[in-house]
Amino acid sequence: MTPSSHTLGDVVLEADSITKRFGGATAVDDVSLSVRRGEIHAVVGENGAGKSTLMRVMAGVIPQDAGEVRVAGRVLEKGAKSSIDAGIALVHQELSLVPEMTVAENIMLGYAPTRLGFTNSKALNAIAQKALDEIGVSVDLNERISRLSVALRQFVEIARAVAREPQVLILDEPTATLTPAETDYLLEMLQRLAAAGMAIIYISHRIPEVFKIGNTVTILRDGTQVFNSALADTTPESVVDQMVGRELKADLQSRRTAKPGEIVLDARGIRAPGVNGIDLTVREGEIVGLGGLVGAGRTELVRAIIGADNRTAGHVTITRKGKSATITTYQSAIRNGVAYVPEERRTDGLALTMNVADNITLTNRAELSRGAVQLRGKIVKFAQNLAEVVGLRPPIITREAGQYSGGNQQKIVIAKWLGRRPDFIVLDEPTRGVDVGAKAEIHRLVRDLADKGTAVLVVSSDLPELLELSDVIHVVRDGLIMGTLPAGEANEKNVMSLAAGEKMVDA
Amino acid sequence: MAKETLTEVITVAQGDEQQPSKPRSVLPWMAENGIFIFTALLILGAAVFVDGFASLVNITDVFHRAAPIGIVAVGMTFVVISGNYLDLSVVAQVATSAVIFLAVSNVYGVPIAMLAALLAAIAYALVNGIAVGYFKANAVIVTLSTTYIGIGVLRYFSGGSIFFGPEDGPIRAFGTAKLGPVPYSALVLILVTLILAFVLSRTNFGFLVRSFGVNESATRLGGVNTGYVIVGAFFVTALAAMVAGWVLAAFSNTAVSSMSTGYDFQALAAIIVGGTSVFGGKGSVLRTLLGVVFVSVLTNILVLSNITFGYQQVALGILIVVAVTIDALSRKVGTR
Repeated sequence: MTPSSHTLGDVVLEADSITKRFGGATAVDDVSLSVRRGEIHAVVGENGAGKSTLMRVMAGVIPQDAGEVRVAGRVLEKGAKSSIDAGIALVHQELSLVPEMTVAENIMLGYAPTRLGFTNSKALNAIAQKALDEIGVSVDLNERISRLSVALRQFVEIARAVAREPQVLILDEPTATLTPAETDYLLEMLQRLAAAGMAIIYISHRIPEVFKIGNTVTILRDGTQVFNSALADTTPESVVDQMVGRELKADLQSRRTAKPGEIVLDARGIRAPGVNGIDLTVREGEIVGLGGLVGAGRTELVRAIIGADNRTAGHVTITRKGKSATITTYQSAIRNGVAYVPEERRTDGLALTMNVADNITLTNRAELSRGAVQLRGKIVKFAQNLAEVVGLRPPIITREAGQYSGGNQQKIVIAKWLGRRPDFIVLDEPTRGVDVGAKAEIHRLVRDLADKGTAVLVVSSDLPELLELSDVIHVVRDGLIMGTLPAGEANEKNVMSLAAGEKMVDA
Repeated sequence: MAKETLTEVITVAQGDEQQPSKPRSVLPWMAENGIFIFTALLILGAAVFVDGFASLVNITDVFHRAAPIGIVAVGMTFVVISGNYLDLSVVAQVATSAVIFLAVSNVYGVPIAMLAALLAAIAYALVNGIAVGYFKANAVIVTLSTTYIGIGVLRYFSGGSIFFGPEDGPIRAFGTAKLGPVPYSALVLILVTLILAFVLSRTNFGFLVRSFGVNESATRLGGVNTGYVIVGAFFVTALAAMVAGWVLAAFSNTAVSSMSTGYDFQALAAIIVGGTSVFGGKGSVLRTLLGVVFVSVLTNILVLSNITFGYQQVALGILIVVAVTIDALSRKVGTR
């Protein structure tokens, strides 16, 4: 794939000196960018750099404090309606589909065609089908969203934006939940749309993607624009340097030498919805990786193992210091030294409006209280210590968890389990949507845990991460382990071919 | 899971790049601090402009009326903060406690009467708590149903008759005793408030109630037995309603199944006006106490101004709509 070679048209969208403040802090500071018809304009930056804020301003979701947005030379009024009318469509980072409604209804949500006040379902289906055809995805219009994989939901979300026939399509981290094959598919689709004259603004952490399809790049750091150029004139290394603003130290200790010890987790014949009979062991000090495509059943597997969801069959034991315990319920798992960092940190990992100390100490209340009464001094000391151990920045434990960026939030989730010194920890997509710096720190934390003897199970759709962390990789497809690759033998290619099976994924 | 609506998912998503500083918007600030100012203004205004408000007799009367509703409200605050909206069955719980308390004490004396009322309270708490906490049934519908069951059972056993307490004795003495202008019932309210404030803010249980209210899923995945937390929240409410029943019975020296009609709504008004969020997680027992003062004083002003009961209801209704709207709006602004 190479950046689109078609010629670019006129400037369609201009953001001029946009500034957006939240309270005292400036999220976006005097940023300008313009996009031409047929252009794919990449916007990159670490989490908290202001990318999403800038996009939300351009889409009229939030009002700017200074500057203006122009479409085809005309200044946009504030408010989402004028942006939509002007042909700007935003695909949010987080999915916003209604799970209980059908694909067609979701695509047409908010502007379903009507006849005499009733929904005209024929027209609705026709428009929805056209949008799906346009992005080249085949899915049953009448299927409910809740029955689709995360990847398909992402495509439906894009179809929903495309159905509005926008002039400018803004995508916020669309590939965060996609596998490499699905990502390639998405990127090709965007190139097709651009070639047809659509202006696309593409936000991503993933630099290789940006270089694959982008024409232009804008780099944001701490809310300011540090770089804006044609991608042909720069290199990936230079972009990363500009993004981070510091030299990334190469990770020297990437291969661990520690020998795994005794078996800690022993799961036999695990069955659950989406899991079709899996045996799995994890040893002391070992990092086991679970690879596979989104929807392969990895999350379902780990949740069934630790009892977070019910399993229909199977037996799980945790052995620590020679003593074995059978795991039946989630609470019995936690009591026996299991820790779980869930896939969705905002909905499952954190109480966003509670402070950092409350979040960190949720799992450790017993040792931080006398009888039923909390010991506040102890709680503060305990939380402060862990916040510093995981490298929370800034380590202010009285601040609400929701006020931190994604990487920091993930550190808080990890901190709350570190306090229990777990014997077995499950991390599901530990660095999804996390910036480069925090990602390296989280990897270090995971390795430290293993070095101290914790058995670690990592689910990740990020192949380089999986390869870098794991001592052994099990590849899951259709709820079964399709192959097991030791660290020395695994590479992106053989993991992917196991994950995808013989044929390529049809997105 | 009921709390995870689409809007919530979207709001959470938009919170991606929230900034460290507190939002400086009027609405969140109002929702946060409005109650202090409004209560002070209301009392001051009433003292100056409303004839008879500042009299000793009237103040005692306000206390008398505020006490049982207040006790119910501070207890119910736990259910609201846990994110389960409210416990409608407090209406039945207060009446049950009052009727059992007077009826049994007439025969077996006060301690046995208290014990009997306690058994009823435990029954309410278990039914409500287990249905909502363990079986994830909707709190509004469950407690609406237990209200019907409770009042129905009470009518069946009492035959709809009114129970009277003895003309003298400990109950009557308590019901009429005062410390200055402050009746003992109001002292009970303050005592219950202090105990529950401690439980909510300083104990593990209180912490888990708040944590559950903010994010049920994260709390469960933290290894917490969330069913137990919800049963606990309904227990606190039931115990408070039981005490409110005693106080009400002692004050009026009569008990009948319909005596606490409207307590659900008035308690909810106090909780919401106090600034406890119906979305769960945010709020405090002391705020509810302030809300009780506000609602009671407002009602008293309306009574003193010869405004009929119908209009009083209208006023209370409007008050709740306004307070709940501010709560919802401030939440929207606040998550930015």
